[in-house]
Amino acid sequence: MRIGVFVCQCGTNIAATVDTEAVAEAAMSMRDVYHAESIQYSCSDPGQRQVIAAAHQHRLDRVVIAACSPRMHETTFQRAVIQAGINPFMLEMVNIREQCSWIHEDREVATTKAIDLVAAGVARVRGQVPLKRGRVPVVGEALVVGGGIAGIQAALDIADAGMPVTLVEREPTIGGNMARLDKTFPTLDCSSCILTPRMVELKHHENIRLMVSSEVTAVRGYIGNFEVDIRKKATCVDEEKCTGCRICEEKCPSRAPDEFNAGVGESKAISIAFPQAVPLVAALRKEHCRQFIKGKCGVCKKVCPADAVDYEQEDELHTEKFGAIIVATGYRLFDWEGAYPDYGGGLYPDVITSLQYERMLSASGPTGGHIVRPSDGREPRDIVFLSCVGSRAESVGRPFCCNVGCMYIAKQAIQTREHLPDSRCYVFYMDVRACGKGYEEVYRRAQVEAGAVYLRGRVGKIYPRGDKLVVMGTDTLIGDQVEIETDLVVLAVGFAAAEGAGELARRLNIAYDGYQFFTESHPKLRPVETTTGGIFLAGACQGPKDIPASVAQASAAAAKAIRLLSREDLETSPMVAEVNHMRCIGCFKCAEVCPYNAIEKQKLHDGRTVAVIIESLCQGCGLCNVACPPQVISLRGYTDNQLISEVVEVLR
Amino acid sequence: MADAGKGHACGVRRRGRDDEIKLVGFLCNWCSYAGADMAGTSRLAQPAALRIVRVPCSGRVDPLLVMKAFQEGADGVLVSGCHPGDCHYNEGNYYARRRLELLKRMLPYYGVEPERFHYTWVSASEGGRWAEVVAEFTAAVEPLGKLHYAGGAPAAAAGEEDGDG
Amino acid sequence: MSKYAYFPGCSLASSSMEYDTSFRLVAREFGIELQELDDWNCCGASPAPHHWVEVLGVLLAARNLHIAGAGEAPLVAPCAGCYNRLKHAQYKLERNQELRRQTSEVLGEEVRYQTEVLNIVKMLNREIKPGALAERARERLAGVRLAPYYGCLLVRPAEVIGYDDPRDPKKMEPLLRATGAEVPHFALKSECCGSYMGLARKEIVLRASHRIIEAAVAAGIDALVTACPLCQQNLDLRQGQINRAFGTSFRLPVLYFSQAIGLALGASPEELGIDSLAVEPDVDRWLKGAA
Repeated sequence: MRIGVFVCQCGTNIAATVDTEAVAEAAMSMRDVYHAESIQYSCSDPGQRQVIAAAHQHRLDRVVIAACSPRMHETTFQRAVIQAGINPFMLEMVNIREQCSWIHEDREVATTKAIDLVAAGVARVRGQVPLKRGRVPVVGEALVVGGGIAGIQAALDIADAGMPVTLVEREPTIGGNMARLDKTFPTLDCSSCILTPRMVELKHHENIRLMVSSEVTAVRGYIGNFEVDIRKKATCVDEEKCTGCRICEEKCPSRAPDEFNAGVGESKAISIAFPQAVPLVAALRKEHCRQFIKGKCGVCKKVCPADAVDYEQEDELHTEKFGAIIVATGYRLFDWEGAYPDYGGGLYPDVITSLQYERMLSASGPTGGHIVRPSDGREPRDIVFLSCVGSRAESVGRPFCCNVGCMYIAKQAIQTREHLPDSRCYVFYMDVRACGKGYEEVYRRAQVEAGAVYLRGRVGKIYPRGDKLVVMGTDTLIGDQVEIETDLVVLAVGFAAAEGAGELARRLNIAYDGYQFFTESHPKLRPVETTTGGIFLAGACQGPKDIPASVAQASAAAAKAIRLLSREDLETSPMVAEVNHMRCIGCFKCAEVCPYNAIEKQKLHDGRTVAVIIESLCQGCGLCNVACPPQVISLRGYTDNQLISEVVEVLR
Repeated sequence: MADAGKGHACGVRRRGRDDEIKLVGFLCNWCSYAGADMAGTSRLAQPAALRIVRVPCSGRVDPLLVMKAFQEGADGVLVSGCHPGDCHYNEGNYYARRRLELLKRMLPYYGVEPERFHYTWVSASEGGRWAEVVAEFTAAVEPLGKLHYAGGAPAAAAGEEDGDG
Repeated sequence: MSKYAYFPGCSLASSSMEYDTSFRLVAREFGIELQELDDWNCCGASPAPHHWVEVLGVLLAARNLHIAGAGEAPLVAPCAGCYNRLKHAQYKLERNQELRRQTSEVLGEEVRYQTEVLNIVKMLNREIKPGALAERARERLAGVRLAPYYGCLLVRPAEVIGYDDPRDPKKMEPLLRATGAEVPHFALKSECCGSYMGLARKEIVLRASHRIIEAAVAAGIDALVTACPLCQQNLDLRQGQINRAFGTSFRLPVLYFSQAIGLALGASPEELGIDSLAVEPDVDRWLKGAA
C-alpha cells in the first residue's frame, strides 16, 4: 500500500492560515505514506499534472488531497487519479479550507487541525478498496400516468422523438380537466379546438399505446428498469367493437351522475363523457346500472348495433416494463362544501363552482351554452364571483394560491357579458394575480369592456332571500360592509390533488407534500425530477398550475425521459451496501429499514435464506448497516472500520 | 498486493495541551456537510475543537460509533443531518432521531454526561446556523472539561483493526 | 344529583330575569342543583376588556373564577357574554404568568382559575339526554319551527371557547328537536346582532338585527332560540325600533333556550317568564297545533 498526500495551498486561501509544508511533513510520518508535498493550486491543470507525475514516480496506489470540500472538486481529482492509473475510489479528499483555513485565524491551531484531518483521510483511504461502477441496461419505453393536457403533451413529445410510450388514464377518455373548459385565458380560444386535435393525434400515434379505464396498481424496479402492474377496469364495452354511436346511452334507462359536467345535468349508466372523447367508446358504470343492481335490463346489449356490450367482461391485469415514468395525474377541485358552511355548504342550488359555470358556458355542455340558475332555469341578471374559495385560506387549511382563479374569473366575466349582455358581474377578490404573459390585459378587459365590478374583500356569508341570494362581504378599499342581492354565485374553488394521489405516490416511492401534491427534487434546479431516479412530474399533480405551465413542464419532463431512454445503459454508484452471506442470520431487519426496497431474500444452496442487496436500487444511505443485528452489512466507502479509523485518527 | 507497509505508524500523538477538548462531528453528506461548507465559504469563525467525519446520512451513524468515539478520547460527539422531512434518503434521519435520542438517555448509565452528546439538523443553506451549532456545542462541553471515559468498548463497534486493502 | 356553581351575572339578575327563572326551572325539573356563586361580581362585560391595561379585562372575571375555585362543582354561566369573559380570563391566565402574578396580587392570594366553565348549551347537553327530554315533551311543540340563534359570544373565538363549530354551530339542535319542534336550517345563526353597539351607535344594531329577523321570517321560522341576553334584547326588545326604522311589521318571538325547553316540559308561559318578552309568542296556538 503506497499513499501519496498532496496539501493544496489554494493560493493563500489555505496557506495563509495553515502551514501546508508542515502538514505535508507531518503526513510523511503517517503509516503507508510514501510521498507528501504541498501544491500551490492542486485543482489547476499544472497542479493535477503534478499529482499524476508524483503518482507515477512514487508508484502510488492511493491518493489523499487536502484541499477544499469534496463537494467542490472530488470529481476533478477522481479524473486526475484515473489518468495516473489509480481507481477513482482510492482517492480521498480532506477539507482543510472550508473546515479549517477559512474558519480559524490562529495558524497553529489551524495547522494542528489540518494534520488531524489529513491523518483521518489517510486512515480512511487505507481502508478503501478499488470499486467499479456497475452498468444496467435501460428499457427503452416510457410510461405516462394521466391523460390530461400534461400527460398528452409529454406522451406526444416522447413518441415524436421515436420512443414508445404507454399512456395510462383512469377515466374512459383522455382530455382531463382541460376538456371540461369552454375557453382558455388569456386568448379566450376554445379549449376543445386546441385540445381535441392533440387527443386524436395521440390516439393514432404509432409509438403510443393508450390504455384508458386503467390504473397503476404496483411499481417495482428502479430507474431504467421499472416493472409496473396496470389494471384495466372492466367497462362492459369491447373497445375494439364500439363505434361510438351512443345508441346505448340514448336508450339506457338508468340515470347516473354526470361527473364530466361537474354535476350540471345528468348522465346515463352507460355513456360517453363528451362528443369528442378519445377513444370514442362507451363505458358502463356498474354501480348505477339496472342490469347490475336489479339483475335485469340488458337494454344496451340489445340495442348495440356493433354487439360491443359484454356484461361478463372482467378486469385485465397487465405487467409491463418501462425505463422512465412521467406522472401527470393532475388535480381536482377542493371539496368546498364541508369547509364553507357560511356559503351554504352546498345547500343552495344557485351557489355553484366555476367549473360548473364553465360547463354551462360550453356550447356542447348540458345547458347548450346557456347560463341559467340551477334552481329554476331562469337566466341570471346579477352574478357574484368569489375568488379564493379553498385557496389562500388558512382557516380551512388551504394556505396556497390556486394560480388560475383570478384569471378564469376575469375570463368568465368577459364571457358572461358576451352570453348575457344585460348581466352584471361582481367579483370579490383578495389580490388579482395576473402575472403571466397577456394576463393583466384580460383582467383589464373584464373591468373595462365587460364592466365587472371588482370588490376587494372576502365574503362572510351567503344566505337566501326569497328566490335570490344575499352575499355579505367587505369592501376593504372603502372600508365598509357590502351586501349584494344576486341571482347566482360562482365560487372560484381552489385546487386539490387528484383523488388517490398520496396512494399513487407511495406506490411510486416519490415524495408528496401535506396536500398530496408531488414534490419535485429541487424547487429551482430540478423542477421536474422526483427524488426517485427515472420518475418525472408534469402538470398540476406537482402543484396548482395553468395550462401553459403544465405544457411547459410536460415537455421538460419528456426531455428528461428522452435523455434517459436514449441511453443503452446506466452507471450505478458502487458505494452501496453489501452483505456477508456467510454470517447473515436472515432476520431481514435490513429490509424493514431500507427506503428503496433494495434488499431481497435469496435462498442459498445450504438452505438458508439470506439478504441480498440489489445494487442498482441501493442508494448507499447505510441504514441497513446500522440496523443489522450481527453487523454483517457493510456500506462500501463508509464501512464501520473506515469510520472508526477516522475517529481514532482525529482524536490521536 | 503484498506490500509490507511503511514501517512507522501514524501514532504520533498530536494533541496540544492536556486541557484542550476534542470533539467529533458526524455530518451527513447532503445537508449538514454542505451547511458546514457554506459556513466556511461565508468565513464564519468557529471554535477549532471539532473534527468533522463525513457520512452519507445521519441514519448511518451507529450509536456504537458514538460510544467508540467517547472511548477513543472524544470529549463530545455531535451528529447533524438533514431536517426531519428533508432527508436525502427520505427517512434516514427519522431512524437517526430515534436511535440517537435513546442513546442520549442511556449516556448517564455509561458515565458520560448527556451534554457531551448532541444531535441536530442543519440544512445545506444554514451556514450561519451551523456556525452557531459548533459554537454552542463547544461552549456546552468546555465547562465539563476532559472526559475520562472508563467504560469498556461496546463489543461490536470495536471491530477488527483496519484490514489491509 | 349533579351540582353546579351558578353565575347569573348582571343581565340574569336584572333585565333578563326570565332567563334566570326559566333556567332554574329546567334545572329543578331535571334534578340539577344550582348553587349561586357567593358574592359574585360583574364579569367585566364589554368595557373592561377593551381597556389598554390588559389585567383589567381579566381581573373581574378572575375573581369569580377564584370564588368558584374554592368549591368542587363546575361553574355554569348561562349568559353568553359572561361565559365568554370567564373563558377569556381563564385562557389568558393559563398562558400568561405575569397576568397571573398581577391578578394574584390584587386578590391577595394565588388565583384559582382552573374551574371548568360551561355555557348553558354545554351544561344541558351534558345533563339532559335528548331521549329523556323527548319522553317528557311528548311532541308538545310539534309543528313549531324553532331555529337556534347562536350569535358570536357563545362559540367564538374557537381557540378560547373550544365548544361547537364556530362557523356552523349545531349544539342546540339535539335538545330543540327533542321538544318535538321542527328545527330548520337558519343561515344567519351565528351572524352578529350588533351587540353592545346599541348604546353608542344604535343604527348598527338595528341594521344587523333587522337582517337576522328578516331572514328568519323569510325562512318561515316561528321563533328564534338564543342563549345570550344581549342578542335576545337586540332582537326582541328592539324589534319595535327595527320595524319603525325599516318600515316593517315583524312579530318574531325570540326565546331563551331554557324557555323553549321549559315549554316542552309543560311549564306555563308565566312560569317561564315568556309573558315578559317584548314580542310574546302565541304559545296556546303552538300547543294546540301539536295537540
